[in-house]
Amino acid sequence: MVKFGRILLKDGINNKLLEILVCPLSKQPLRLCEKTNSLISDAIGVSYPIVDGIPRLVPTDGKIIETDDASHSDGPVDLPGK
Amino acid sequence: MRRSIARFLGGLRSYCTDSGDGSQSSKLKIFDRHFKRKQRDRAAWLMKPKDSLVDTVAENLLDRLEDCKRTFPTALCMGGSLEAIRRLLRGRGGIEKLLMMDTSWDMVKLCKDAEQQMPTYNIETSYIIGDEEYLPVKENSVDLVISCLGLHWTNDLPGAMIQSRLALKPDGLFLAAILGGETLRELRIACTIAQMEREGGISPRLSPLAQVRDAGNLLTRAGFTLPGVDVDEYTIRYNSALDLIEHLRAMGETSALLQRSKVLKKDTALATAAIYESMFAAEDGTIPATFQIIYMTGWREHQSQQKPKKRGSATVSFHDLQKQFGSDGSC
Repeated sequence: MVKFGRILLKDGINNKLLEILVCPLSKQPLRLCEKTNSLISDAIGVSYPIVDGIPRLVPTDGKIIETDDASHSDGPVDLPGK
Repeated sequence: MRRSIARFLGGLRSYCTDSGDGSQSSKLKIFDRHFKRKQRDRAAWLMKPKDSLVDTVAENLLDRLEDCKRTFPTALCMGGSLEAIRRLLRGRGGIEKLLMMDTSWDMVKLCKDAEQQMPTYNIETSYIIGDEEYLPVKENSVDLVISCLGLHWTNDLPGAMIQSRLALKPDGLFLAAILGGETLRELRIACTIAQMEREGGISPRLSPLAQVRDAGNLLTRAGFTLPGVDVDEYTIRYNSALDLIEHLRAMGETSALLQRSKVLKKDTALATAAIYESMFAAEDGTIPATFQIIYMTGWREHQSQQKPKKRGSATVSFHDLQKQFGSDGSC
């Protein structure tokens, strides 16, 4: 599943797009987390999923990150439903 | 005396906090955005590949790009009829990068699939799911924002427009088409009469829409320079009132009021259709429906744009204008 996601990720989200996008709530930059295939807003600790290469940046689609994963950039992230 | 001043100041203070907060009125929720999202999901499946009304509006909106001398390398297209915009763009405006945004997943997916069937060359298109009310686009990052028939469903239209302005680079263009207050006036009348007749009272069935005079104020309030507003009215003929409702559904334009009544009695619905037909039907039995489209244009401020001169900076009196220009002008 993750592998599949990564393939889509390559042609779906590029860095230029990531530069334009910000968190819809805090308007702060987003960080791409390849492991969970989501965009993370470190400012408020919310992750927005990327589905089929399309980031879902509606506030209601975001998930609040419970643990302090947000501080690790690519650390071992324990995610529900991997 | 002192007490009255204190009271006055107190009143002033409370007034100030209201206006200082600024969001008091904009927090008002009129539309159920979540429901609208579902409706748009459904519309993505019901949509005909080419809708004449949507195509006309999109064409009219994109036509404005040809009037601009500059090009818009990066564009954000949000809400409403995304697919029509992408299909009809045909290289106008010199767009190189196009960002498509909608709240509905199915709508975006439809667009993405349509692109694979009919790829647009030279345009790098990317898709995101986003809400116009919470625009996920960085400040100063796009040259053009297009919204075709989407913004009239936002609860906070001024807020959404301010966010669009912030997303624009200086001298960036904001282009939007929204439905105006005259839209579906026949249906409004028929609905009201039918409800009064069958239910003995009325409830809002159609959503409130912006009036033309509001549109200009909105642009100015959002801080756009060189604002321009114009209006177009289209009358579409349907075979019956039910066809009209089907069309509205396929466009995802059915009511999404938060305080809508969730039941529609069959009796009332049929009465509405009958009243519609008896009041407005043409000779050949078709019924007309009016769609009023308000087109809004605004620019983000830039030094190169023309500005009015300061008050009192004139050097010639209006009385002398005739003398100044009248000598060579024969008209």
